[in-house]
Amino acid sequence: MRAEFQQDLDDLEAELQGEGSIVLRSLRGALNALETQDVELADEVIAFDDEVDDRYHGLEKRIEQLIARQTPVATDLRLVLAVLHSNMHLERIGDQCVTIAKLTKLTSHLETKRSLIAGFEEMGSRAEEMLRVALEAFANRDVDAARSLSELDELIDRGNRDVTKQVLGLAGQPGMQEWGMRMIVVSRCLERIGDNAVDIGEQTEYLVTGEFTEFTDASHPEGRAH
Amino acid sequence: MLKGDDMETAQATEPAVRLDRVEPAIADRSDPAAVAAVQVPPVFQVTGLSVTYGSHLALADVTMDIRSKAVTAFIGPSGCGKSTFIRCFNRLNDLIPSARVTGQVLYHEDDLYSPTVDPVEVRKLIGMVFQKPNPFPKSIYDNVAFGPRVLRRKDELDGRVEMALRRAALWDEVKDRLKTNALSLSGGQQQRLCIARCLAVEPDVILMDEPASALDPISTSAIEDLMHELKTDYTIVVVTHNMQQAARVAEMTAFFSVDVGEDGQRTGVLVEYDETQTIFTTPADPRTEGYVTGRFG
Repeated sequence: MRAEFQQDLDDLEAELQGEGSIVLRSLRGALNALETQDVELADEVIAFDDEVDDRYHGLEKRIEQLIARQTPVATDLRLVLAVLHSNMHLERIGDQCVTIAKLTKLTSHLETKRSLIAGFEEMGSRAEEMLRVALEAFANRDVDAARSLSELDELIDRGNRDVTKQVLGLAGQPGMQEWGMRMIVVSRCLERIGDNAVDIGEQTEYLVTGEFTEFTDASHPEGRAH
Repeated sequence: MLKGDDMETAQATEPAVRLDRVEPAIADRSDPAAVAAVQVPPVFQVTGLSVTYGSHLALADVTMDIRSKAVTAFIGPSGCGKSTFIRCFNRLNDLIPSARVTGQVLYHEDDLYSPTVDPVEVRKLIGMVFQKPNPFPKSIYDNVAFGPRVLRRKDELDGRVEMALRRAALWDEVKDRLKTNALSLSGGQQQRLCIARCLAVEPDVILMDEPASALDPISTSAIEDLMHELKTDYTIVVVTHNMQQAARVAEMTAFFSVDVGEDGQRTGVLVEYDETQTIFTTPADPRTEGYVTGRFG
């Protein structure tokens, strides 16, 4: 029963996964451009964001129509809401990639520090891994995998703190300050991508259990009830 | 939602003034129905109720409480026993010779099926509105005045009629034509007239069996608004085929389903009974899930 409705729901999920794939491409492009100071590639990443935005708006529109016409309830309702929120988190990851690409362009003429760039590659790879885990956990309704994202996120957070320390170490080196300051923002973007992947994991848990909990909560770092 | 970041040193310390000590705890007050449920005893307490028609077990072993001053909805597929069940609350099944009710129904802690209880007295306190509006072929006024006249509550009859029509949100539409035949009203108006007729005898509980299923969307909406109004003073139990109606009007929702026995006999069972929002967001039973999402049943 409700075959058309079920097809609509399946389509929503397929589009979310499709959007996830292109956001992963955007992230890989941004990381490569950053590492090689490739301005052309950075421009491509910036232009490619239109594709992400189109998919984001398209999915929102479909969800609006589905709610209006099919009145989803129970698991269907939770799926629609989880897709709605995850869609937004993916779009934000796309925006972080654009910011990284813009900063790559701004700093393309500046001297870089190799160890920091290598650190970004590692942080970026972890962010990619987290996004893949988040998308697969969603597709498989795998709450354990979704919850594992908060541990992976801790590794990115650690990378972010290391970057801050290294940049502070550049303070005394003439000509490195501007690059260092820009790279703090790059680091922050990668850290936020990890957070957005955790957010998608939280949506997976909501989808499966009906309960929404924050896996990590910076305002209650000891995990107190709130 | 702030995630872990690089601001490890900026952790929040225990605030000097806890907000939840200044303001009353919101969680305790945000849901009036939940507060009422804690403080007010249930109107009905049903235990192990079964109904048979001849040799056919139509409804098996229902146990549930009905919350006071709230709307409780019964949903489920055809033949699940929800109409049979609602008729147990005012002993309407007594009028069907082959029907036999077993188990217990307590009404304000008194046994509704005790031999000393007069079913006619029960129906004064527990009124009923049916699927098809059924006004008497009399004037609008006489329809509403009928109950008070029978009960010899003729004092202030005009006032009683006006009060009932106002409470049924019909007064403004009919006040200038009270002597007109009730059958000249639209279907939605007729249904509100039946609710007014029910209110005129000052009941405690109003049972509604598919009250809006024969009405257009505007009239349906008027009946639903009325349920919201009336639940401040009355306990309302409604049977509906329209799941969204249950979602809109009811605080509590019970889902009934049909068990088919080896002999092919179909018996209604209570599957799940919970807060309406739980039934429509996170139902516990897969049969409820299947029904509310339109997949089965």
